[in-house]
Amino acid sequence: MTASDAPAVLARARQGDSEAFRALVERHSRSAFRLAFRMTGNEQDAEDVVQESFLRAYRHLGRFEARADFGTWLYRIVANCSVELIRTRQSRQQRARMEPLEDLERTPAAGGPGPDRLAESADIQRRVEKALEDLSPLERAAFTLRHHEGRTIDEISRTLGLGTSAAKHAVFRAVRKLRIELSVIRD
Amino acid sequence: MRHITEDELVLYHYGEARRRERIDEHLQSCAECAATYRAIAETLALVSEPEIPERDDRYGLEVWQRIRHDLPVQDAPWWIAWYRPAAAAAVAVLVVAAFIAGRYWPNGTNQPATPMQAADVLADASERVRLVAISDHLEQSERVLLDLVNAGGRELDVRDQQAWAADLIDSNRLYRHAAERAGDDTVASVLDELERQLLEIVHGPSTLTPAELEAVRARLDAAALLFKVRVLSDELRERELAPNPKRT
Repeated sequence: MTASDAPAVLARARQGDSEAFRALVERHSRSAFRLAFRMTGNEQDAEDVVQESFLRAYRHLGRFEARADFGTWLYRIVANCSVELIRTRQSRQQRARMEPLEDLERTPAAGGPGPDRLAESADIQRRVEKALEDLSPLERAAFTLRHHEGRTIDEISRTLGLGTSAAKHAVFRAVRKLRIELSVIRD
Repeated sequence: MRHITEDELVLYHYGEARRRERIDEHLQSCAECAATYRAIAETLALVSEPEIPERDDRYGLEVWQRIRHDLPVQDAPWWIAWYRPAAAAAVAVLVVAAFIAGRYWPNGTNQPATPMQAADVLADASERVRLVAISDHLEQSERVLLDLVNAGGRELDVRDQQAWAADLIDSNRLYRHAAERAGDDTVASVLDELERQLLEIVHGPSTLTPAELEAVRARLDAAALLFKVRVLSDELRERELAPNPKRT
């Protein structure tokens, strides 16, 4: 437990002491941003998630168990705020639906760069980002937690408030979709 | 020879497969599974760690400056882990029990009046428990509905949303009964509508075509269910925070 998470600081924050809460914000903002960026893949969205997460944490501090770890609790809030933001973002995008991935060229044009060159190009990154964008919010969240954050299925289940089976299948479906969407790069 | 499923290979890749040694051996001897595993590993290798923009030591202070004037009112402390469906179901049972008890609790009109009677305290506590439990239930239900409404794809697998909705139906029924007994018509009516839609989701097809998904969206839109759920959830939060007139 860090100095800013000391029981006394947490207790004061739970009683509405904003200076105590400030210590928690200063301590945990960077890690919250890193998680939010991995989950959303967008800097501005990550900033929004960080702010919303701390506001939500402050509001619900009364529900936080004093003996629990504030960082772990905040991690869950950030992950769930990210899911909500992705959901809203996808909903917006659906209304102004962009070109679906399947309409992008699936095979390199004749005479275009071969697989090796393609593998080094920014095109890969663009396709990966697009493939991630096409995952459902839960699939993306579960996949990010597993793939980038190294969380186990049980941890993902607890973080996202899902059953173990739902968490596992969200990861499976994400990998299946990524395989399909990225097959053009591998082939 | 039984092949290893893709899902097992995904778990294997992430070091979470059971019987890892058996999969090791199988991959040595089965070219088909080895090729599938290679394809999975190659795909996952393409999804590299994103380059995260740097944030320096002052970042925490910047975040604080941005949020300090928007800090909301804190919720009253509650000790129950509301977010697990099992806990929510248990709370629902308690809520119903509290209301049944409330119906038969002496109402105190024939008793000498005291500033704060035990029955008032119990009623106050059970009312707040009910409000918190229902508003949490509504938030979870909203997430399921949003997940479904915002889904996309040519053929959509909604088994997870169905399982999630199924988890919520029992709690919903208990909360609805409690609201009906309490004469809380607004809450009962929204929960009734919600229950019907959750049942439709659970008993509907587990794979939806875009047209079927559009029909689900239209059904939810027609009932204005998401709007009602959100508004009611906010209203219950406000009622939960409002001081009890009996105590003031």
